[in-house]
Amino acid sequence: MYPFEYVAPASVDEALAVLAEHGEDAKVLAGGQSLLPILNYRLAKPRVVVDINGLPLDGVSVGDGRLKLGALTRHATLEESDEVARNCPPLREAAALVGNVRVRTLGTLGGSLAHADPAAELPMAMVALDARLGIAGRSGRRTVAAGDFFTGYLTTTLAPDELLTDIDIPVTRDMGWAVEEMSRRTGDFAIVAVAALIRLDRRGHVDEARMTFAGVGPAPVRVPAAEDVLRGAEPTRDRLGHAAETARAALTPESDAFVSSAYRTLLAGVLARRALTRAVARALEIR
Amino acid sequence: MTDGVKLEREMRLVGRPVIRHDARDKVVAATAYAGDWAMPGMLHAVVVRSPYPSARIRAIDTKRAAAMPGVATVVAASDVPHNTLWTDVPGQTTEVGPLRARLHVLAEDRIRHQGEPIALIAAETEQQAREAAEAVAVDYEVLAGVFDPAAALEPGAPAVHDQGNLLAHWRVRRGDVAAGFARADVVVEGEYRTQHVDSAYLEPESGVAWVDSDGVITIRVSTQVIEHFRDVAEVLGVPQNRVRVIGTYLGGGFGGKEDVTVEVYLGLLAWRTKRPVRMVWTRQESLLARAKRHPYRMRYRTAALRTGEIVAQEIELLADSGGYAYLSALVLLYSTVTAAGPYRMPAASVDAKVAYTNNPPTSAMRGFGAMQVVFGYESQMDRLARALGLSPLAVRRVNALRRGDALPVGQVIETHVALPELIERSWSALGEPTPPRAPHVKVGRGIACNLQPYGRIVWLHDWSSAWVGFEMDGSLVVRSGVPDVGGGQASSLCQIAAEILGVPLEGVSVHIADSALTPLAGTTTASRQLYMSGNAVLKASRELREQLLAAAARILDAGPAALEMADGAVRASDGRSLPLVELLRGCARMGVPRSHLGVYHAPAGEPVDLEKGSGKIFPDYTFGCHAAEVEVDTQTGRVTVLKLAAAHDVGRAINPQSVEGQIQGGAVQGMGYALMEEVVLEDGINVTTSFASYLIPSAGDVPDVEALVVESGEGLGPFGARGIGEPPIAPPAAAVANAIEDATGARVTQLPLTPERVARALGLVEGD
Amino acid sequence: MRVSLHVNGRPRDVDVEPNQTLLAVLRDTLGIFDVKEGCGEGVCGACTVLLDGRPVSSCLLLAASAAHRAITTVRGLEDEGDLHPLQQAFLRHGAVQCGFCTPGMLLTGLAFLQNHPGADRAALRHAIEGNLCRCTGYAKILDALEAYAREAKRD
Repeated sequence: MYPFEYVAPASVDEALAVLAEHGEDAKVLAGGQSLLPILNYRLAKPRVVVDINGLPLDGVSVGDGRLKLGALTRHATLEESDEVARNCPPLREAAALVGNVRVRTLGTLGGSLAHADPAAELPMAMVALDARLGIAGRSGRRTVAAGDFFTGYLTTTLAPDELLTDIDIPVTRDMGWAVEEMSRRTGDFAIVAVAALIRLDRRGHVDEARMTFAGVGPAPVRVPAAEDVLRGAEPTRDRLGHAAETARAALTPESDAFVSSAYRTLLAGVLARRALTRAVARALEIR
Repeated sequence: MTDGVKLEREMRLVGRPVIRHDARDKVVAATAYAGDWAMPGMLHAVVVRSPYPSARIRAIDTKRAAAMPGVATVVAASDVPHNTLWTDVPGQTTEVGPLRARLHVLAEDRIRHQGEPIALIAAETEQQAREAAEAVAVDYEVLAGVFDPAAALEPGAPAVHDQGNLLAHWRVRRGDVAAGFARADVVVEGEYRTQHVDSAYLEPESGVAWVDSDGVITIRVSTQVIEHFRDVAEVLGVPQNRVRVIGTYLGGGFGGKEDVTVEVYLGLLAWRTKRPVRMVWTRQESLLARAKRHPYRMRYRTAALRTGEIVAQEIELLADSGGYAYLSALVLLYSTVTAAGPYRMPAASVDAKVAYTNNPPTSAMRGFGAMQVVFGYESQMDRLARALGLSPLAVRRVNALRRGDALPVGQVIETHVALPELIERSWSALGEPTPPRAPHVKVGRGIACNLQPYGRIVWLHDWSSAWVGFEMDGSLVVRSGVPDVGGGQASSLCQIAAEILGVPLEGVSVHIADSALTPLAGTTTASRQLYMSGNAVLKASRELREQLLAAAARILDAGPAALEMADGAVRASDGRSLPLVELLRGCARMGVPRSHLGVYHAPAGEPVDLEKGSGKIFPDYTFGCHAAEVEVDTQTGRVTVLKLAAAHDVGRAINPQSVEGQIQGGAVQGMGYALMEEVVLEDGINVTTSFASYLIPSAGDVPDVEALVVESGEGLGPFGARGIGEPPIAPPAAAVANAIEDATGARVTQLPLTPERVARALGLVEGD
Repeated sequence: MRVSLHVNGRPRDVDVEPNQTLLAVLRDTLGIFDVKEGCGEGVCGACTVLLDGRPVSSCLLLAASAAHRAITTVRGLEDEGDLHPLQQAFLRHGAVQCGFCTPGMLLTGLAFLQNHPGADRAALRHAIEGNLCRCTGYAKILDALEAYAREAKRD
């Protein structure tokens, strides 16, 4: 890789100062699972690499009906934490699908979100979970809804001099959920993935429905029209199929060298139906 | 070539699953692979490559690069003494027409494929070398290219080489094909396509070279062919005895390290700088630059009677050689000879062509042309079965070759053909059918048989040599030029020598793959090493034993026939024994050598005109049959192989555990070919140059392969062994495709059988 | 820059460039060739080390970032020249062909079994999904891991 200066700040403020000084010439190093391949392939030439692993940005806690995660929370922690398992099981399932065991040891939630690969599981999960992302910059702190954070291919609303610091997710204990994915090989990025959450009211009708896709566009895609099909309705097989079909028809994925847009669309519909079915089954168990 | 005496009694080592001598070092990571070597003052080298598939070089400016920090030298074509490399079926000397192919070491004025090497840089650090590489300024004139072999053969196609784009055309004509078609009850046709794939060994191309104190250019390299020392000598214009290639234990070869990879570059740079030089390719470079497996387009027409008996077959093959010939003509020859499969064929015509394109070059890879055609002929067999309402097993049994039958090229099969047993064993190994685990999942089964040549084409007059000798204390040394690609090539030699000379396996030291110090054994390719070098070691050991027993007979005053070597001693039938150490001292006194160089010459033949003639092409073949059970998700097209049983007649398993390992590993590589491996090219540009995009199977993608070892004892190798390195890779693709059809009724005729391709065959996705 | 590494139980202070990976420093500075570069992107597993007992890709870890963490490579498994039982199992079951993936498989398998002592073959298969092998087809590697898991459970 190209040579660079290495800085390991001890505080968020110190990190922000370095980022402010170097702007686009600096790259943030968290888990390194996305950044290091790019550096190894000489695809980027940062002047400074800012190692943020020493910052106090880890930690999993629950309070006020919300699961709070530091941006440096490792995927392995999401997989293994009892608090995550109890309070937001779809997050655990999404994390378990990320890469391979080595990626999960070091890869971080914040890193995955900041990298914003359109086929990645965690950005999709954050959008489905209505997560709120905490961002620190020189001008202060701000919060962004996950749905507004991902703006395009490998692009987020994070400025070069900002850091993702924490992620805050409403507890989903009262929701059924499912994550479905198809990849070309075990452990690969998804061709298409979907996360679905369903809450049923006392009558067994859908009180809330959320469905988000990865791999069908430059950023995670939520299809409100499909969610609307379910809201207030009894989650029959036909109704779920209709919702999946509505989602499928609304998606406009592109073709790439490996997979055509027609096939991605097919997959989205099939995986959506499967995810909704499993989510409803879980929701029924919870009631 | 079998040792008659041994077959009658239980062998002590041969046939046992002994732990390989190289395995211990490997589990403690003590094996020094080619890249695990550092020397004082060592430079690091990189290759500068063309980004364009078809171009003319107007000018190369290396001045800026040469002036950069740490750069020791920059080499372009004009700096290379003899800039031509010949691919000449390595190690052989018989000129064989299109089998002798020409390549530049570094591009002169014409670029014919993406990644073609243009310059070399050696610098103090790898980082500095890469920086300098980026500073080499090449003025390209981008030219039109052709990226499809059929298009390349059309009039007016851009000429990749001056002599036209048709590189080779092999024809076989046998019997009256038209008459066969006329009298047939059914004709089935199919067009099949296979893809470019990469060897994808875990160890990338690597080596270190230096000039030793005698001025010998020494290249320590991961290679399947140490005879490349001759290529290096020719390029440098130095005598062949001034170049030495030391072959390391490879981290995988699979044919990708059969052509020269880094040897010539390292030799050049070490010779120029007089310093040690290391070159290790990155994975992306390896995926970009290394020669691939030939993709094939195949057209089959098979005519048969109602009984299932095939009466005629018409086959057309078209392969893509990429920008250079390398071993393409030879690969095509293998396909031509095996294109009709392991079946009796009263009439057959084969037209096989390979064309140049501006795609990446294609060359040797495990299976070597006999692999792609399995997808063709085994898909046809199932089509035939369906057309006639016969079972896939029955239609194969009806047509299976038997000893005494001839292949379409006229070669008579002289050894036992175990196909019926292989079919039966692999099929029954599938056991009870797996019930579909969900309503949208269908389960099906399929089989595929194959034949794979082992040993070189007989008119290449193949040979191998080995040296076996005792030290004074009774420990045994084996020296053989054999490169070890990880399949236990070296360790089998130890087993054989120890068996014959009656010493424990731990008492054997083996030295391999050093062109200056070990007798040459030829290439580790063509499933030839157990056959050739196993026989060479067998011969050397037997001849040494004969020598020593003659000496022992004098010492013991006994007839040599009454003596045998066992348990580290000579034992007489009357109960007397002579410890080995004493025998060896006696030999020293009597002037009897304690060592012997054995040379094994494969039975040779003369070139056969495939079209008119008839005759032996390969020494022998290994037959196999794989049975697969697959699950197809009928909503997504995803195929999962639930079971794979792989049966091969290996003649004799010298080390059964190694044989199983070869079968299991080869079959998994075959499943990669079947399901997920594909080099994707867009107008000659490779878009799969990382392990994230070029996918090889992980443990989660394949089942445990059940390796079924049949030992007919009729191979030409030591103790009746046949080659097993290549055969297991070929059948899975067809077995899986046949199983998919069994499950769903859909036939997929293009590899790999990706979920999308299967989904299209199932009608789930429309259009292109 | 000077970095304190802790490798196979021993402190190793080394001078590193900021852009040197742990893989490069282990091999080129410390002469520990247990780790191999197979892909440079964390997919193949040939560069696996244990970092505080967990598998990581040393090709994706800057040496500077690895300071003060316990790093284990395969040579850390041997006990005064005696092979670790898992290494012995690999030998007995023919789980080694070219050997390039072997160090990564050993470390990954061990780390997994440390936390999942009763693991069955399916769980072991899943555990090594991130370690690519091109030679064995994985079956004998799983045989060795299974056998070791059974024996370790008995002890």
